[in-house]
Amino acid sequence: MSDAEFDLVVIGGGPGGYVAAIRATQLGMRTAVVEREHLGGICLNWGCVPTKALLRTSELYRQIAEAEVFGLRVEGLGFDLDRIVERSRAVAEKLANGVAFLMKKNKIAVFDATGRLEGPDRVGLTGTDGAILPPIAAEHIVIATGARARSLPGLEPDGIRIWTYKEAMVPANLPRSLLVIGSGAIGIEFASFYRALGVDVTVVEVLDRILPAEDEEISKLARKAFTRQGMTIHTGATVEQLRNTDTGVGARLRTTGGAALDIEAGRVILAVGITGNVEGLGLEEHGVQVERGHIVVDEWYRTGAPGIYAIGDVVGPPWLAHKAMHEGVLCVEKIAGVEGVHPLDKTGIPGCTYCTPQIASLGLTERAAREAGYELRVGRYPYAANGKAIALGETDGLVKTVFDANTGALLGAHMIGAEVTELIQGFAIGKTLETTEAELIATIFPHPTLSEMMHESVLDAFGRALHI
Amino acid sequence: MSRIAEQILRNGDGRNAKKTGRLFISPLARRVARDRGIDLAALEGSGPHGRIVVADVERAASEPLTAGPEAEISQAPDTVAEPEPVMMGELMHAPAAVPVQGLSDKQILALYEPSSYEVVPHDTMRRFIADRLTLAKQTIPHFYLNIECELDALLAARERLNGMAPQEGPRAFKLSVNDFIVKAMAMALQTVPAANAIWTDGGILRYRPSDIAVAVALEGGGLHTPVIRDAEVKSLSEISNEMRDLAARARSKRLAPHEYQGGTTSISNLGMYGIDSFEAVINPPQSSILAVGRAEKKPIVKDDAIKIATMMGATLSCDHRVIDGALGAQLLAAFKAYLEDPVTMLV
Repeated sequence: MSDAEFDLVVIGGGPGGYVAAIRATQLGMRTAVVEREHLGGICLNWGCVPTKALLRTSELYRQIAEAEVFGLRVEGLGFDLDRIVERSRAVAEKLANGVAFLMKKNKIAVFDATGRLEGPDRVGLTGTDGAILPPIAAEHIVIATGARARSLPGLEPDGIRIWTYKEAMVPANLPRSLLVIGSGAIGIEFASFYRALGVDVTVVEVLDRILPAEDEEISKLARKAFTRQGMTIHTGATVEQLRNTDTGVGARLRTTGGAALDIEAGRVILAVGITGNVEGLGLEEHGVQVERGHIVVDEWYRTGAPGIYAIGDVVGPPWLAHKAMHEGVLCVEKIAGVEGVHPLDKTGIPGCTYCTPQIASLGLTERAAREAGYELRVGRYPYAANGKAIALGETDGLVKTVFDANTGALLGAHMIGAEVTELIQGFAIGKTLETTEAELIATIFPHPTLSEMMHESVLDAFGRALHI
Repeated sequence: MSRIAEQILRNGDGRNAKKTGRLFISPLARRVARDRGIDLAALEGSGPHGRIVVADVERAASEPLTAGPEAEISQAPDTVAEPEPVMMGELMHAPAAVPVQGLSDKQILALYEPSSYEVVPHDTMRRFIADRLTLAKQTIPHFYLNIECELDALLAARERLNGMAPQEGPRAFKLSVNDFIVKAMAMALQTVPAANAIWTDGGILRYRPSDIAVAVALEGGGLHTPVIRDAEVKSLSEISNEMRDLAARARSKRLAPHEYQGGTTSISNLGMYGIDSFEAVINPPQSSILAVGRAEKKPIVKDDAIKIATMMGATLSCDHRVIDGALGAQLLAAFKAYLEDPVTMLV
């Protein structure tokens, strides 16, 4: 039997997988992608992209509701939930077709099947209808199967009243009230979307602050903004029990102080973390080590098994599409022997949360930098002092920068406010080029823009802010 | 030939700053290197297109001092020319600013049949000679002056002095022509003091005593350059005896560092091998070296008549940063004058 042979096979057609495949063909490899569901993966079909479509709606809705401030008269403002969801699905579909086109353009073979390791250089395939397909052979196998929502014992999603991101993205009806368990990026984005549409939203976080991966100051400002929007937030609290009631779900919260609190919600969104898709791949039999739901790899994404690599969400946090794509490129370049490839620097991965106000960050938080032993210079600049922000009517927010006082290295940038998810890239470029404060200070920022706050924040860190 | 040229070109590819003169380095790497006193030019960049990134600086900083040139000589751009004790004879590396890359070992070996050679590993002295003289040719702008000296008066004086020398005891001596050459050079440096000098970036060191290094060839290859200190005030017999002692200890490699460091000039004499004349490479940080050929009888024209004289060729290599053409000529003329009329060295 002659298997179809490839230089490189990627299991999983999400952002990490399909990007790895494209890079591999650019480097002259015959490449295949095995995808069991949708090209583009969760990100494109059920994650980053469709949620951005939903959040665009809620952002516009919020702004139009304030039209009067801008001298506009709007009457009869309302929304159609089905149309909102439909648009989100259409956006996802358009992009998934885009990925299929990219595969075709790059002459990458796509197998609509579930892949499984059958040897160090063989991938077994099961078709979407359950039929066993001929296996394919490859010198290099890259596992990019991604991750899914983690559930907690006693808090399993049922898809009806207790949702994961997937159900939350395609609601048939708007619940009266919503309990969001977990205040990471996913939980907060849904909280923000539903709150904007008028749902009574409660967020529960086990740690002492929401968005616990962000800088503490940013968490605090975010909480203040969300509370002002009418969200209820419980930090330092766990959900002890969920039970179905006549109208929805009853939840018993337990605070770290020991107090119990009963709340009722129409629906619950479970967003307590992510676990890798490591099942059914034949990992253990082929010497691929799995720890705490994720595949163990070295800095070049090699598993313990020769010729088998893993990238993206399945190898661990941060669970971000852009991190997976970058890992896919590094992994493939290393396989191809490209010179000058450096291991991923996790402090160079920007993180974005598309709630209102938006949150974006890069590198070390102020606390993490202090704990790492750096002497710091920290700069801050508020939206309220920026001309463009005032003109936009977006005066809520802060740009914070963290520098190593001794070398001037940019250690971290933390931002909350309008469009920060687009602004953060300026700092990411600077950090990748190993900027010091001197180059940032010497850079001319256009006036009037929100980006001027980035400049002023850097100036402030070195006692030179001009406009505050 | 074109193949070698091609390979040299290829070898230079992608090397940071070695072709263009611009140093590709991240701002942070530049600053960290400055703060830790790490020489930028010595770093190999691991970033895109050989760009030096902070990780390269940190790696260099964590390497032991013997690991590379960057540890030996650091260019602190902010601190000007505190003259480094760059002593000859010490194991010194060329400053990393040296730009040219030669063929790699691999490229060279590819040019020869493996059966046609054996590889002799470098010893410390070979590496030292390679480093120092490469440094000399790459950083010192050499120029050369030739002169011929008539030695008959010197040879007569030598014969007379050796004839009356005690055969034994502390005052015994046997003068060589080279002892006269050392003395004549020492006197010439006092006559033309501007040539008794050393280049540093901060300024020219005008040296007072005449400390003359003399190249001593070693058996089995290599050479040493012991220094006769204050040769201008020493008698010929003192110079002769000291030279004999230094040369013997140089050959048995028992010289102490202070016996081969310093000096402003050297003398290299290949006359005994029948060489007429040659050009020597300056031994950094000195500013000149005198290459001495053999003495032989030649017909010369004197007072419009042809006569036979014993002539010796000498070539002075000068560091043009310190010694301009006219200055070098004055030094060499003074040397010739002393040598041809050795009595004048007594005053």
